Amino acid sequence: MVARLGRWFTSRLSELFYASGLLFTILREALLFFRRRQVAFRVFVLQVLFTAVEALGIVAFIALALGALIIVQGHSLLPRFGQGKLLYSILVIVITRELGPLLTAFIIIARSGTAIATELGNMVISHEIEAYVSVGIDPVSYLVVPRILGVTVSMVLLTVYFNFFGLIGSFLLTQLVQATPFREYLDNLLAALTAADIFSSLIKAVVFGFIVSFVAVYQGFKVRVSSTEVPQIAIKAVGQGFVLCILADAMITLIYYL
Amino acid sequence: MEALIELKDILLRSEDHLILDRVSVGFPPGQSTVIMGPSGCGKSTLLKVAAGLTVPDAGEVLVQGQPLARFTQRKLMELRGSSGFMFQDAALWANKTIYENLALPLQVHRPSLTAARLKERVLGLLARLGLAGSAGLLPAQMSMGEAKAASFLRAVILEPALLFLDEPTPSLDHELLEKMMRMIRELRDRGCTIIAVTHDAHLTSMIASHLVVLKEGRVLEAADLATVRRSRSPEVMAILSQVLSEAATYDTDLLDLLGG
Repeated sequence: MVARLGRWFTSRLSELFYASGLLFTILREALLFFRRRQVAFRVFVLQVLFTAVEALGIVAFIALALGALIIVQGHSLLPRFGQGKLLYSILVIVITRELGPLLTAFIIIARSGTAIATELGNMVISHEIEAYVSVGIDPVSYLVVPRILGVTVSMVLLTVYFNFFGLIGSFLLTQLVQATPFREYLDNLLAALTAADIFSSLIKAVVFGFIVSFVAVYQGFKVRVSSTEVPQIAIKAVGQGFVLCILADAMITLIYYL
Repeated sequence: MEALIELKDILLRSEDHLILDRVSVGFPPGQSTVIMGPSGCGKSTLLKVAAGLTVPDAGEVLVQGQPLARFTQRKLMELRGSSGFMFQDAALWANKTIYENLALPLQVHRPSLTAARLKERVLGLLARLGLAGSAGLLPAQMSMGEAKAASFLRAVILEPALLFLDEPTPSLDHELLEKMMRMIRELRDRGCTIIAVTHDAHLTSMIASHLVVLKEGRVLEAADLATVRRSRSPEVMAILSQVLSEAATYDTDLLDLLGG
């Protein structure tokens, strides 16, 4: 029992050291990324294309649906308590500060997190990572950093896009159900929206983007020898990504209200 | 003669299994060394340790007398830019075309090369093995033999002074094999240091000036060919005859074969 506990503890400690080392290397290489004239820039562009551009449809759909639901429910419930104006604060809190960044992160975990983890895992098994090393290409600066930067930049872009569709696009949708003058809607919305809300949303986007991509990369590189490890690490990347994003969300929200 | 690459007391474990057990061996410059031994004895791992692709648990890899572990980034890049590694399973980058697979090392190490020169170099090399028509294919669209040939070309695209070959010949058809052999011979004649893992008697007889015989992660013999020929160690001879007779299609006496 004690021996098993010891092995578990040693294994966790070793994973922590590995993750810390990887994190340090990524941060160092990320600082150098834009200063270097390198072929990895194409990997960054492709990552943004895959994570941001190809996800525009689904992000728009979810943002529209969420925004429309809040407006419809708010219109039917809040006036009963004489709090009709609260709708705009709720919209800002739910879409801009909370669910916008979080749902965008979930979409990215499902699409890009799994893709990065499985791609890197398969590359380990087929010795493609070793092949990069053999030609003098550092896998961290060529494969990892552009993906992490690409996902983080995409996360910020998609969060802004989510907010836009959630706050403005959903207004258009609700016109089908309940007509509201656009000018009135916009004035009220801008009155409820503060710079702190936007800042909080963007901070969350950066943090979630880094978490999602780092977890995916970390899990991808944990694959050792067998292709059966790949689906396992993909599941772990999804699970850990969700949990860490929710924890980070709670922490940032707490800091915001302190 | 000082070894170009020297391994000192290399120890490597995988969980409870000992892969390399205190291996000490040198690879002389400008010579061709063939590493032989039964399957699973640690040959490929030894090759990767020598190339600096696998970090040993203990021991030291020296390149021209300098510890590889203490190489600066710049020195390491110089080494990579003057060496090539052909993998046993080809290890081509699956999301890149064959052209891109060959072009990437050039883009990294010869950034001043114009796009036209780069294209000329890559297509010229592919044409030497009759693969020019496959430049636009992804590795998954090729046969294993063609993929290995492309992997070989990626290893030699920088005109390396040091070449690592891990089982280069299996899966190749006769024509491809002959063309690749010709290129290996040219590299050897040009003074390229070749370190190869192979079961191929023909390749061994063609290039080997030195032999390293491994068994269960230990070096049984590491010497020039003449010394190995004089060796009457039954263990060494048993392994050589077993390994070579398994793969050789030539009805030739083993020692004649080693004598080239």
